[in-house]
Amino acid sequence: MLTDLDWSLPMLQKFDRIVVVGGGSAGWMTAAALVSGLKGRATVEVVESEEIGIIGVGEATFPSIREFNQLLGIDEAEFLRATHGSYKLGIRFNDWLEVGQDYFHTFGHFGNLFGSQTLWAQHRRMAQARPLGEQCVPTVMAMKGRFVLPDEQSQFKYAYHFDAVQYAAFLRAFATRRGARHTQGRIVEVVRRADGGVAAVQLDDGRRIEGDLFVDCSGFRSLLLGDALGEPFVDFSHWLPVDSAWACPCERVGEELTPYTQSTALEGGWAWRIPLQNRTGHGHVFASRFIDEDRAREQLMVRLDGEPLVEPRLLRFTTGHRERFWVSNVVGIGLSAGFLEPLESTSIYLIQDGITRLMAALTAGRPLHEDELALVNDGSARRFARIRDFIILHYCLTRRRDSELWRHVATMELPDTLAYKLALWREFGVLHMQDEESFDATSWLAIHAGMAHWPERRDPVFAEVAPERAAQVLQGRRAAIAASVERMPQHHRMLQKVLG
Amino acid sequence: MSGQKFDRIVVVGGGAAGWMTATALATGLQGRASVEVVESEDIGIIGVGEATFPSIRDFNRLVGIDERDFLRATNGAYKLGARFRDWLEPGKDYFHTFGEFGNLNGSQTLWAQHRRTGQTEPLGLQCLPTVMAMHGRFDLQQGGREEFKFAYHFDAVQYAAFLRKLAMQRGARHTQGRIVEVLRCADGGVAAVQLDDGRRIEGDLFVDCSGFRSLLLGDALGEPFVDFSHWLPVDRAWACPCERVGEELTPYTQSTALEGGWAWRIPLQNRTGHGHVFASRFIDEDRAREQLMTRLDGKPLAEPRLLSFTTGHRERFWIRNVVGIGLSAGFLEPLESTSIYLIQDGILRLMSVLTAGRPLNEADPALFNELLVRRFARVRDFIILHYHLTRRRDSELWRHVAAMELPETLAFRMEMWRRFGLLHEYDEDPFYAPSWLAIYAGMDYWPERYDPVCGEIPAERAQQGLQWRRDGIAARVERMPQHHQVLQKVLENKT
Repeated sequence: MLTDLDWSLPMLQKFDRIVVVGGGSAGWMTAAALVSGLKGRATVEVVESEEIGIIGVGEATFPSIREFNQLLGIDEAEFLRATHGSYKLGIRFNDWLEVGQDYFHTFGHFGNLFGSQTLWAQHRRMAQARPLGEQCVPTVMAMKGRFVLPDEQSQFKYAYHFDAVQYAAFLRAFATRRGARHTQGRIVEVVRRADGGVAAVQLDDGRRIEGDLFVDCSGFRSLLLGDALGEPFVDFSHWLPVDSAWACPCERVGEELTPYTQSTALEGGWAWRIPLQNRTGHGHVFASRFIDEDRAREQLMVRLDGEPLVEPRLLRFTTGHRERFWVSNVVGIGLSAGFLEPLESTSIYLIQDGITRLMAALTAGRPLHEDELALVNDGSARRFARIRDFIILHYCLTRRRDSELWRHVATMELPDTLAYKLALWREFGVLHMQDEESFDATSWLAIHAGMAHWPERRDPVFAEVAPERAAQVLQGRRAAIAASVERMPQHHRMLQKVLG
Repeated sequence: MSGQKFDRIVVVGGGAAGWMTATALATGLQGRASVEVVESEDIGIIGVGEATFPSIRDFNRLVGIDERDFLRATNGAYKLGARFRDWLEPGKDYFHTFGEFGNLNGSQTLWAQHRRTGQTEPLGLQCLPTVMAMHGRFDLQQGGREEFKFAYHFDAVQYAAFLRKLAMQRGARHTQGRIVEVLRCADGGVAAVQLDDGRRIEGDLFVDCSGFRSLLLGDALGEPFVDFSHWLPVDRAWACPCERVGEELTPYTQSTALEGGWAWRIPLQNRTGHGHVFASRFIDEDRAREQLMTRLDGKPLAEPRLLSFTTGHRERFWIRNVVGIGLSAGFLEPLESTSIYLIQDGILRLMSVLTAGRPLNEADPALFNELLVRRFARVRDFIILHYHLTRRRDSELWRHVAAMELPETLAFRMEMWRRFGLLHEYDEDPFYAPSWLAIYAGMDYWPERYDPVCGEIPAERAQQGLQWRRDGIAARVERMPQHHQVLQKVLENKT
């Protein structure tokens, strides 16, 4: 590694008392991971203000959530019951390329991505009129509303739709059972240390909670990292202009449950649809520069496919992240550290990534080194930048020009990291991956294919496969996938069975 | 051919290809088929490839050969890679070893940070076995993980003899005699070979290891030849071993670019192999011979021997019940020591078909052929790269290779490197990205741009990281023994 640690820098002190500020999913995921991983080597205290409430970020998730649950030893059925969860194979994007066109991004494979056998390239070369998605098991499952757990033959990843507020409650019970302390109270002051770190937080009832390490899970308010420490914000909103969301759950209608999130491009943003067991989440993420609040609200309400269960709620945000995620003895995890629109359901994934980095530093088995903070910060910033690029990809390839938003995203200058990748794809057909990617080449391919964005040139290596053989392989694979999906149960039946 | 079983396998030819094949078959099939090697002593062996590729170690392990026994039997020495002299310009040299150059992807990409921070020293100082080679060191201790691969220099004739003994111990039959006729079956395959003493050797599968003569695949079956000589014009070689001088042994092959080709130098325990591979279009035989003789660094041990060849391969490698392995199937100049590797590759693919536990079907030879053709094309491209990037214009050969049109696959890869700094890899390429990087770096051929993520690392930090790595490698190599000392110890080790 070029970025080996500089051991000449000072070591940081030990962290015996860890205080988690905020009790949403970020706070309780962090606390649950800390009490499980540190096994009593540090105390964990969560300071939560009930009256502030929780922003239920990310009801749709990324497959990594399963690893997190597995790591904590959470049983899947129990988790699904507690959170009204359902299975998610991926996302269906409606109207992104043009109105009336749709595609899927699932967490499956498209066969070989390398060399002469590259499946997408042979598919293109044989000038197949059929969508590439037919070569991807979970995409075909999603199209047909089926679900089974992956086995050795059909290797794909999946995630969940769930109620994040209930997940936080579930993890609170879990974490407190394992020794996390739960302190309720509103923080009125942050008491600083001489070195710039945080010494304690002062509650409104006079209590003072001291700690060696503070994890800021205070949400958009960013009480410690933003307010107290004043860490500057890296703003992505030029490329990702959406800055508001209307959210409104409605009644579940009918038996069927789509095993995917739906994202429909609208005039000034996009609308989500997330099916849970007991209700269907709806929302409209929009750019207030391009559409006004009321109009955005109306556009959401006409989309509901059931009786609304509450009044729609408005959220505001800025897309981007703090320059540093870990400053002195303060670590930001979740919205306090940064936010990306939920287009690819990465909020909970980014929380998890922050937790993983924190745990790695805390369980290194030696005092923490100041240089390691820089690595954590670099890695986290890089991860945000990669997801940013991947989300921009969904927008910038559009052919829509029917409103200001789409004209803006179709013509804006791109980050150079994304421009480089796009040029490699367009000119050479290479799915180039950088470090700290969350979305692998297959995911990039799903978006390129869905947005009908194909390379201009054909790698000469593809011609090494005889055309008849290529056609035969494609046809065989497509037929095998179709046949296997035909035998799978409907998603709601499978879910019913798991829930018991 | 569908569903056919091969109970009697006949290997035609007893050089390195023949005996490697027989050893692998006798070992891997464990008596499920008889293996008979038909060898004509009076024809003799072309001792191809005294320098090898790291895969030779996998082969030896697979057939259960102890390294010390092997090195003793073949006068072998260790090989970390090759040193290329005068290829870019006279006076310039570089190494291609089987090591890594740190990260090749993302913000930590070592070569890109090396460029970005304006380092003036060669990139090779960031590669452990390259620094070892530069200092003549060798060490088998690699710590926990394998940090580099290595190969051997050895006497291929002695290797064939060593394998003959082993194969026969394992049940292979050795039949001596000159083949005078090839008897065909109705389906176009081969039924038997007829020897000059009247014996007729029948078989179900024939492996053609008859060398350049290509007795079965070429002569009998008339399989056409795919000619690479436009891109790789060398077609002759003078070879002459000389006495070993002094104690030291370079742990690398040396390849020096000359007016009409290039000269090799391969150090063994008991002698030093020298040769001059040249293009007869561009230099005449006598002049090529002279250029070789003046290069010898010891007394010649034999008269120089001339070999002629054409670079390329048969269109198909497996037809009906005939499989070509070794020179009978194809040849690429020994610039990257791939001859024995290509033999091995053919053997492994043949073995995997024969041990699949199901009857053979039509698709097996088709796939075999497709993969080997691809493998040859990859090695071809990699060898062309060594020539094409030259800045030499001092003779016809170099003007030709610098200006010639390239195979499309190579042109595509080079363009991606030049314009985007991407080491684009293909399937079936025995040379991974670090090998391509070694040649690009050695030939001073750098991209116009690199991945912008490299800018995410502060330049001072990258600089420091590079310096630490280089110093760490230098310090480790400083503590390593000389190659000849390690070799001595391995050879003397009694167990």
